[in-house]
Amino acid sequence: MTILLLLIPLSLMLLAAAIWAFAWAVRCGQFEDLDTPALDMLYDDPAEGQGDAD
Amino acid sequence: MNGATVARSDASFAAGLDVRAAEVCFHCGEPLPPLDIPSDSDGRRFCCPGCAAAALWIREARLEDYYRFRSAPAGRVAAEAADFAVWDREDVQREHARDVAEGREIVLLTDGMRCAACAWLIDRALSREPGVVEATANAVTGRIRLIWDPRRTHLSAPLQRLAELGYKPYLAGGEAAERGRRSESNRDLLRLGVAGLGAMQAMMFAEALYLDTAGEMAAATRDFFRWVAFLVSTPVVFFAGWPFLAGCWRELRHRRLGMDTLVAVSTLLAYIASVVETLRGGPHVWYDAAVMFVFLLLAARTLERRSRRVASAQVDALARSRPALAVRERGDGSCETVPASALSVGDMVRVAAGEALPADGVLLDASASFEEALLTGESHPVAKPAGAPVFAGTVCRERPARLRVTGVGDAMRLSQVLRLVERAQAHRPRVARLADRVAASFVLGLLLAAAVVYLFWRWHEPDRAFEVALALLVISCPCALSLSVPAALAVAHGALAKIGVLAVRPDALDALARATDVVFDKTGTLSDGRLALQGVAVYGELSEADVIAVAAALERDSRHPIAAAFAGHAIATSASEVEEHPGLGIEGVWRGRRWRLGRADFAAAREDDGGLWLGDGRIAFARFALAEAERADACEALSALRTQSLEIHLSSGDAQEAVIRFAQRLGIAAAAGRQSAEAKLADVRALQTQGRVVAMIGDGLNDAPVLAGADVSIAVAEGAALAQRAADFVMTGPTLGRIPAAIALARRTREIVRQNLAWAIGYNAIALPLAAAGLATPWVAALGMAASSLTVTLNALRLSRMKMS
Repeated sequence: MTILLLLIPLSLMLLAAAIWAFAWAVRCGQFEDLDTPALDMLYDDPAEGQGDAD
Repeated sequence: MNGATVARSDASFAAGLDVRAAEVCFHCGEPLPPLDIPSDSDGRRFCCPGCAAAALWIREARLEDYYRFRSAPAGRVAAEAADFAVWDREDVQREHARDVAEGREIVLLTDGMRCAACAWLIDRALSREPGVVEATANAVTGRIRLIWDPRRTHLSAPLQRLAELGYKPYLAGGEAAERGRRSESNRDLLRLGVAGLGAMQAMMFAEALYLDTAGEMAAATRDFFRWVAFLVSTPVVFFAGWPFLAGCWRELRHRRLGMDTLVAVSTLLAYIASVVETLRGGPHVWYDAAVMFVFLLLAARTLERRSRRVASAQVDALARSRPALAVRERGDGSCETVPASALSVGDMVRVAAGEALPADGVLLDASASFEEALLTGESHPVAKPAGAPVFAGTVCRERPARLRVTGVGDAMRLSQVLRLVERAQAHRPRVARLADRVAASFVLGLLLAAAVVYLFWRWHEPDRAFEVALALLVISCPCALSLSVPAALAVAHGALAKIGVLAVRPDALDALARATDVVFDKTGTLSDGRLALQGVAVYGELSEADVIAVAAALERDSRHPIAAAFAGHAIATSASEVEEHPGLGIEGVWRGRRWRLGRADFAAAREDDGGLWLGDGRIAFARFALAEAERADACEALSALRTQSLEIHLSSGDAQEAVIRFAQRLGIAAAAGRQSAEAKLADVRALQTQGRVVAMIGDGLNDAPVLAGADVSIAVAEGAALAQRAADFVMTGPTLGRIPAAIALARRTREIVRQNLAWAIGYNAIALPLAAAGLATPWVAALGMAASSLTVTLNALRLSRMKMS
């Protein structure tokens, strides 16, 4: 069971890293608008998409 | 490719919004006008030239994918072009724009951004404007960030493009306010993230403890796990759960028990009980319950807020100002443009036709006509002689005016109406919300039960007293109870937004469900303010069709509101020598004969009776009865409201006789005309003292105090910005069918909330006796809690599947 003494602090460190990463993403505005970027890739840009458009 | 795109977009629009393409505007989805429908080469039909122009531009810019992607119809495009030249002024930009490396940056608010496709369209459209360095639109917050190069373009050029697509720009608050708003929403998001991650970890450690069913774990290992769980759940309870703790403190300070108290008490109970058990090495800990609870509630609240934020962003946009400027006359007769706030009493101000007055004043020089709809609700311009008082916010019509300022700032009539709104809001009858009432009695009942059980076990078996009382408090789990309301509200607000009704205030749905009376303001809600021909009485040798043709010919090129009544009978040749006599009528020659159309004394040498007469100056030929036309869907919406057993009232600022006639056509018995804002509010108060719950539907500034004072209020999208700020709901278009649909949804939501509360209380009715008897094992408690929370959430989701007729 001594392995727990290594694994649990490790998981806590991972947790801290995850929260830090989340806080960073929030600060950078990654969650400001979740809908618009999803549409961007659906759009065939006329400059590049001319050839394969129907 | 174009044709294919259009066909596809038609199909997706029709399928997505369940409207038949033939009867509504292709661009904005509003009903088509009865006549003169603009359409384009593909047979796409529009409600107005503005929408047609926007759709044409979108096609030419090859942005038609917008119609495929959108999930809500666009806003109606205003017909009259606004002038954005004032936005280029340095003194306007100073507080709102800042210099960045590439040029200047400004944050704008806009109304009409309804879905992600709108944001996408704005992004693309603005980026193509010359001189625009970067444009990012956010559909959730209704904000557009624009960076432009001042050397290559004026700010007004991209703004013009924006307005032509139907998105009117407004100034956002100052830079500091914008930053504050962002950091607040970021903190909320961070709370949710910490709660989610922390809850997952805490549950993992709790899992290890739960799986030790036989109690074989060494005490040291067990305590180690408990301390780690303590470490992880502490920030969740105190950082992520802070809004609940703060809310609880607020409620306690006001000496009332509400939902926040319930949430905070149960979280803290589970947490503190766990800490106590950890310290004294007791049999169970409940860290997982505490953190899961915080996470689920935060998630439900975030969802509900998100759907409401879209609404409040729109109202935000509408309540914000455009740059307000005034033209002041200097002593030597020359003019200067100054901010409206710089005016003082005694200044001479010039107002161009079609512009709103910047301050209260006295009219100088000549008579002029003013549209006072903002203040009185009267939709027709009122002629004022020189020397008459005129009010800020009213719009100068037909010819420019000069006035001497008599009131600025707080002294303006406009400010008085604003104060009336604030007072009405403060005195709104406060209804204790069902959930709060239940929560309050639940908290009290629970604490009492815990005390009784503790005392009983003290006497019966003192060793287990503490443990059983603790188990009782934890197992009673107000989880389901506290989730039942936010979950239902989150789903209901989403469903409301889908039918085009945006909720601004959180507790308005409950009031809407309980409404017993609906009070309509006439202009702008039931009618669209346009005059229509109701009947013709013929006196001379001409037939009915002939006299209508004569009147139509005379009015053909007139911009007077009466002309709209004859617009449907447009004829090829207009009359010649047409001359308008303000206040009297119109005169002209048609087919070799001189005609007069107007007041009886002017047209037919009779005594004026308020009607519109056609004659040659001596002999009467016909009398026209004109009245404001009701909206096409007014009758249908009203009958839908009646089947919901609502009583309908009409309260209008227009002339008594016209209002009564209008009400009769729609079958409304209770109608009152000539109502000032104060009188309307008094009427609503009178109804409220009879125990009625009043829903007010209006659009004008004169409605704003009533909207604020009624139990629940709906403002129409095209109305005054202030009316929308005073209202609980804002309709995104004038289609009246949304009102009965919203009421039906509100009632359904109330029903779901009641079911949820019943379920949560029913669960407790079974769980509490078990816990009190000391029979509840940890896994029974965990199962019960999870099942009850899941049930109320799934029940709430049924709202989103409700069919909107």
